[in-house]
Amino acid sequence: MRCPQTPPKVNFVAAAPLIRGQGPFNLLRLPNPAPSPFFPTLMKRLLALSAFVAGVALHAAMPAPEGFSHVKSLGGIDEYRLDANGLQVLLMPDHSAPVLTFMVTYRVGSRNEVTGTTGATHLLEHLMFKGTPNFNREKGNNVDQLLERTGALYNATTWLDRTNYYQTLGSEHLATVVAMEADRMRNLYLREEDRRPEMTVVRNEFERGENSPFQALIKEIYHAAFVAHPYHHSTIGHRSDIENVSIEKLRAFYDTFYWPDNATVSVIGDFQPAEALALIRQHYGPIPKAPKPIEEIYTSEPEQLGPRRVTIKRVGQLGVVAVGFKNSAALHPDWVPTQVLADILTDGTNSRLYRALTDKGLTTNVSPYNGPFRDPSLCIIFAALAPGATHEQAEKVLLEEIERVKTDGVTQEEVDAAIAKQLTQLAFDRDGSFAIAGQLNEHIAMGDWQNFVQIGDKFKAVTPAHVQSVATKYFNVDQSTTGWFVPIVPGAAKAAAAK
Amino acid sequence: MKTFIALLSTLLAVATASAGQISGNIQRTRINGIDVIAYKTGVKDVVYLRGSLPAGDNKAPAANPMIPTLVGGMLSRGTQSHAKSEITAMLDAVGASISFSVNSAMVEFNAKCLAKDVPLVLSLLAEQLREPAFTGEEFGRLKQQTLGGLKRALESTDFRATDEFSRAIYGPGHPNRNATIDERIAALDAATLDDLKSFHAAHYGPAHLTVVAAGDINVPALQAALTRSFDGWSGGTPRLAAIQNSATDTTKEQTVFMPDKTSVNIVIGQATGMRYTDADAIALRTGTAILGSGFTGRLMANVRDKEGLTYGIGAGVANDTFADGEWKITATFAPALLDKGIASAKRQLTDWYENGVTAKELEHRKDNLVGAFKVGLATTDGLAQNLLATVHRGKELTWLEEYPEAVRSLSLEQVNGVIKKHLNPDEMFMIKAGTVTEAAPK
Repeated sequence: MRCPQTPPKVNFVAAAPLIRGQGPFNLLRLPNPAPSPFFPTLMKRLLALSAFVAGVALHAAMPAPEGFSHVKSLGGIDEYRLDANGLQVLLMPDHSAPVLTFMVTYRVGSRNEVTGTTGATHLLEHLMFKGTPNFNREKGNNVDQLLERTGALYNATTWLDRTNYYQTLGSEHLATVVAMEADRMRNLYLREEDRRPEMTVVRNEFERGENSPFQALIKEIYHAAFVAHPYHHSTIGHRSDIENVSIEKLRAFYDTFYWPDNATVSVIGDFQPAEALALIRQHYGPIPKAPKPIEEIYTSEPEQLGPRRVTIKRVGQLGVVAVGFKNSAALHPDWVPTQVLADILTDGTNSRLYRALTDKGLTTNVSPYNGPFRDPSLCIIFAALAPGATHEQAEKVLLEEIERVKTDGVTQEEVDAAIAKQLTQLAFDRDGSFAIAGQLNEHIAMGDWQNFVQIGDKFKAVTPAHVQSVATKYFNVDQSTTGWFVPIVPGAAKAAAAK
Repeated sequence: MKTFIALLSTLLAVATASAGQISGNIQRTRINGIDVIAYKTGVKDVVYLRGSLPAGDNKAPAANPMIPTLVGGMLSRGTQSHAKSEITAMLDAVGASISFSVNSAMVEFNAKCLAKDVPLVLSLLAEQLREPAFTGEEFGRLKQQTLGGLKRALESTDFRATDEFSRAIYGPGHPNRNATIDERIAALDAATLDDLKSFHAAHYGPAHLTVVAAGDINVPALQAALTRSFDGWSGGTPRLAAIQNSATDTTKEQTVFMPDKTSVNIVIGQATGMRYTDADAIALRTGTAILGSGFTGRLMANVRDKEGLTYGIGAGVANDTFADGEWKITATFAPALLDKGIASAKRQLTDWYENGVTAKELEHRKDNLVGAFKVGLATTDGLAQNLLATVHRGKELTWLEEYPEAVRSLSLEQVNGVIKKHLNPDEMFMIKAGTVTEAAPK
């Protein structure tokens, strides 16, 4: 790719999941699933979250083979449970291309961390590539050696509620990836000599993120907005925790969360269900279930009783205003109307804030981020200031437009357009097994994979009254956290003094 | 709305291509002078439309490098028949989208819609390409937003390093050489609507326009829509012939000092003088992938995995589609680990260059590249992107079938030979961007 002639657009990527990273140069490779490029695009996909619209061809699940219980089937996906240990298995066969995606989602994310172990979920995810007695560099078959030889698109990502490991590759390699993934569920080396160099790798990932004023701003907003709930801290964690967390603590993390009854295996694409289930039983079946129940997070965020504000001042060129409102959990009925509201406010050149801010020369763009998580998080509206505009001006207009929604509501036309865009995006989110896996993963993390199938219907049911109602319920200044990035322009002070 | 939802509800899984069956499914025709490439896949209702015409930055008038980018930016800001808001409303109502971008040689469009909406999207796309409104009000907005984008680019260590690198390795006039941000801001300020209109009149037209459609397309209906929408349009200029790069007199090592940054971006590399179509291109890319692609590439395996000096490092060949391109290593390091990191990367570079790659590495990398190629074609959008890229590279579309064999047939001597033939670490440039202590202004 050529160096950009047009500078990169503002990307608010900090709220995206962390990815283990991959070499920047790949011939004909699909892009990364995650943070990568594109907050607006990414968020639309994650928020559009999903999936395919009901009724995907008539589909009959095969009878549960030995060792499995059939749980349910919906929208072309069959759910089974491995009787031996409770492993959840989702199968979605599709023979249109000779590739498949195999994915393991563990229900552990940065929500499961406490002070001293922030960032541990993510660091452990990195160490999951360091080998086991069966698959390791010395044998020439560690994860990277094994998968890169096949041309697989593979990686792992960590976010607030989950960690996932995935491979998209030729369907002839299914047996190989099942064996490898099952093996590293319980047999990881987890050695201090691996932690030390990987810690500095992750620290550089942290440093790269800190390079961006926007990522730093999002972290600050979350820190201020959540005082009790673990969404308070970012998935990358605090620098001091990344540097000092011990291998023993990481081992304890692994031994607490990496068990079959805390995981979902998804297989999507070109495979035979009976064969896939046989492989899964063969390799996962011998693993016992967790020795003790995995505790649920019981901390909830206390009610916020007034507006909160954070400011970041550092070297930069143009300011940013970001207003985060407490939203609902992603499976709550209010989440989808909140997304429609966010779209009406910011999606496209006809959106309300684009017209009120960008068309008026106050911002260069506006974008939303409606956190799609298991517990209530934030719906943040970003306004990237245009040259010459002030924070006060942009924030005032932004809040006025929100008040207008509360008092006057939105039009049926606006709601129809937002729904049409979401539904079309759902269709495009099914372009290949990798895209489907990426969406399905987030619904598993929210707590119910069926939402992947059902969310289209949820969007279709949204009315202008719903949108006005969630604006009134959630978009309150008293439950908001406003962040300003105030740039210190290099040389500006000297120039002013000279005048 | 009901029809729209009913259509969606019939969605089936995507259907795409495997490398062995591509050319047989392509229908390539010329309509109103436009090169039309249609590929019907088994996907239900979803269509990707991609395309380009040669009105990119390399055709900018000598006095103003920003004109092509600004013309591209005006395409989505209203036409002589419809205001920007009307076009957006029509697209929003059916969930469709059209976007434009400008690179060194081309203005490209990227549209997606449901199958039933292809005629609407093509008619709006034709309007946008043929008769942008060029209103003063929208031009003012575009200028301000572009200025904001340029200023924000100054905050990115990645952008600053690669931007400076382009001026280190490409001489004046080369299409891969970026104008400086200051030059671009000045050009933005100086640009007038008349400049944009003149450029549009001179370079936009069907003569060298390519349209790729992939997905659930009805080919006769697609062709009819293109005939209707582009009827009577004329003009367009061919791609410019490649310009020979001239050496620069820039110093070999440069630092772009940026305060308050916690990670430094570096680029090490050189111009190759090669294009993708050159005989040695695939061999050089394959050899380079052994050094710097993926987690098993030597750079990631050593500088990151063994030594823990970076989150990301890689090597690659780039910007060789429209002109002779470049070879480079890119990486990020904490300021405190910068010297160690650069030394480690250079050790890998020297070893790779001096001793070449091994037969085992080559065999593994061939498997990797051929497998990745198969995965890359497994989506409808991936297919559309690759069809357009093949046209841009000046290859026949059968290249998508021939590529695996081109990789498989490479010999060890060939790969190690082209590395020595086209690269020279002693002649490479290095750019650092970030808070590099020794470069801090006094």
